[in-house]
Amino acid sequence: MSTPVEHIVIVGGGTAGWLSACVLGARLRGKRITLVEAPDIPTIGVGEGTWPTMRETLATIGIPEAEFLVACNAAFKQGSRFDGWRDGWADDSYLHPFTAPPAADMRDLAAAWQTCGQQGSFAAAITPQHAVCAANLAPRQRAMPDYAGALNYGYHLDAGKFAALLMRHATQRLGVTRIAAQVTGVSRAANGDIAALLLQGGATLEGDLFLDCSGQAAILIAGECGAEWVDRSDVSFNDRALAVQVPVEPGSPIAAQTIGTAHEAGWIWDIGLPTRRGIGCVYASRFISDDRAAEILRAYIAAKVPGSDPASLTPRKLAFRTGHRDRFWIGNCLAVGLSAGFIEPLEASAIVLIELSLKALADNFPQSRASMDIHASRFNELFRYRWDRVVEFLKLHYVPSQRTEPYWQAQRAPETIPPRLAECLALWREQAPSAWDFPRIDEMFPAASQQYVLHGMGVPVPLASTTPAAPARLAEIAAKARALAAALPTTRDYLDLLAAGSAAARIPA
Amino acid sequence: MSQHQILNPADHGQLRIHTEAGAEYGDNVMASLAMPAEFREVQAHYPIVFRRDAETGKLAALALFGFEAGENLYLEGSTWDARYRPMAHAVQPFLIGRPPEEGAAPQVHVDMANPRISASGEGVRVFDDTGAPTPWLESVATMLGDLDYGWHEGDDFFAALEAYQLVEPFTLEVTLDNGAVQSLVGFQTIHEERLAGLDGEALQALMAHGHLARIYMVLASLAQFGNLVARKNRRIALG
Repeated sequence: MSTPVEHIVIVGGGTAGWLSACVLGARLRGKRITLVEAPDIPTIGVGEGTWPTMRETLATIGIPEAEFLVACNAAFKQGSRFDGWRDGWADDSYLHPFTAPPAADMRDLAAAWQTCGQQGSFAAAITPQHAVCAANLAPRQRAMPDYAGALNYGYHLDAGKFAALLMRHATQRLGVTRIAAQVTGVSRAANGDIAALLLQGGATLEGDLFLDCSGQAAILIAGECGAEWVDRSDVSFNDRALAVQVPVEPGSPIAAQTIGTAHEAGWIWDIGLPTRRGIGCVYASRFISDDRAAEILRAYIAAKVPGSDPASLTPRKLAFRTGHRDRFWIGNCLAVGLSAGFIEPLEASAIVLIELSLKALADNFPQSRASMDIHASRFNELFRYRWDRVVEFLKLHYVPSQRTEPYWQAQRAPETIPPRLAECLALWREQAPSAWDFPRIDEMFPAASQQYVLHGMGVPVPLASTTPAAPARLAEIAAKARALAAALPTTRDYLDLLAAGSAAARIPA
Repeated sequence: MSQHQILNPADHGQLRIHTEAGAEYGDNVMASLAMPAEFREVQAHYPIVFRRDAETGKLAALALFGFEAGENLYLEGSTWDARYRPMAHAVQPFLIGRPPEEGAAPQVHVDMANPRISASGEGVRVFDDTGAPTPWLESVATMLGDLDYGWHEGDDFFAALEAYQLVEPFTLEVTLDNGAVQSLVGFQTIHEERLAGLDGEALQALMAHGHLARIYMVLASLAQFGNLVARKNRRIALG
């Protein structure tokens, strides 16, 4: 029997680090977990959209939903809306909702929608979530059990507050030890593994498995273990972002989805929280200057946020490299979060990749050093596959565009389209996307997601015979949409009532 | 104090109604009117008794939920532990209004003082943003129509009971598990002996109008008193 894996050491205390601490603390009872974070390194804090997977993650960790919503100034996210991606005209908008139709029905329904003359948008015909999002409604009622909803949903949240909540939960309820210190180096075991971290002040911290959650610095996986960088900027051009928080008026509507608005050389994210909107301009520095990007951002805020004062806002500038490591798990070191890779937040892939990494690790946890290389090899294969699918799915948002600016023309240049995506696009002219194209467990973007984007962007549904029942199914979806729109409260009312109730509970009578 | 208004999209476009069960929504009542047309469903869950209006002397049927005013033994928090609720209770806060002119179509009224009227932004909307009734209001309106029909249709049934003198005062006294005596007075039920003594011609007439089946459903519903007592004992035991 080789060395058992008893002590997990996490380096870095951002979203990735504390989420790792909580998930592993909740799922691997009996393992010792220590998180070491430098006290003075600010978290990047722009990953503020989650996937529906976060509900299961939070339930697993053991945080009640109301506590999470209030503590993180969070709101519900029911998908992403893409404005201006098709041609940039006034009515150019489509939704990629989180609620998927039953897979078996999808081809039939899509064909029926096309046959019926495409009345309304694709997403509006296929899911009642479209109507609910359009009316800024919450996906659930307060009386429902935690993490249950009438529709599928994730969250928008304040990343700084989220990390703080996770830290409290990990240290107070899950027995995770926190050490505030800078990591200055490592000591090695005979087999090349990391034996211990050297901390500022001379202390050492031994461990059996090390999680690198140090963000873009990647001090362990790249700095120590020598993982190579796989650059993907040949496919994904954007390399800068200007981010700003814009306060909103009390009582103003809270959007039910992330809004991504295309501009001449990139796009703008808009994430609505109860007290503020996080807005950021993502762009490619080889197409426009930082000043031009700032102009685009200010013009958007002036047009879209009532009562705002764009001139008074000072955006934070972020520069990023698009790509990922060639290996994520080397020896006894595993990269989770931005240390593993980064791509523009067009489909909020950052936090879900953390969750998927932790799920893969906890489901297949190496009980001893003997099995670790096998797990590492499988993990690396799986996450190279996932990164390829993320890169391709984001590219899919650009390729069908008819916008004419140089940036958009460059985005659809054939040499920038990954070969597998080009193949899929050729197939999807003749047959609908299906599980044949995305056969893995926990595919990040299954066929339904591909269809929402494809048909949202105006790519026609391949000709297929539709069954007589399909139009009736579309009518049922429309009826369900009316019923849900009548029964669900607005997100604003839901969250204001929740906050009022939470304040009343805190203030002693 | 009730506050009735004619329901319309202009005044009630944003109106929301609390649809879940709860004492705070006025569900803590011991009885509801029951229409003879719904006896088949009602008798499967509740005892059915009659009450004579003190002023008009007119008979009406009630579904009993409890033994004393304000007691609903089917209500547990936000759950109403029965599959069916009598229409007259389920349509709240809506009611049927009739314009003064003869023959005019009945209208849907809403009691804006009813606790089911939501002021919090939660609850089900009555009209959508285009001013069209929501599917929920459509179902309520259907039930209001059924209730209105049932109310008028019931007249013949009660007239027949009177004609054959088939009602008698009804008193119930049961000793609960804790020794307390629960009594119920002031209601009427079917006079079983007279019913048994009716001749063939009378039975034929009652049957021809559909009254006979309803009479037996009222009799059958009395078995629900056993369940009601059990609910009362359980509630006392749970404190």
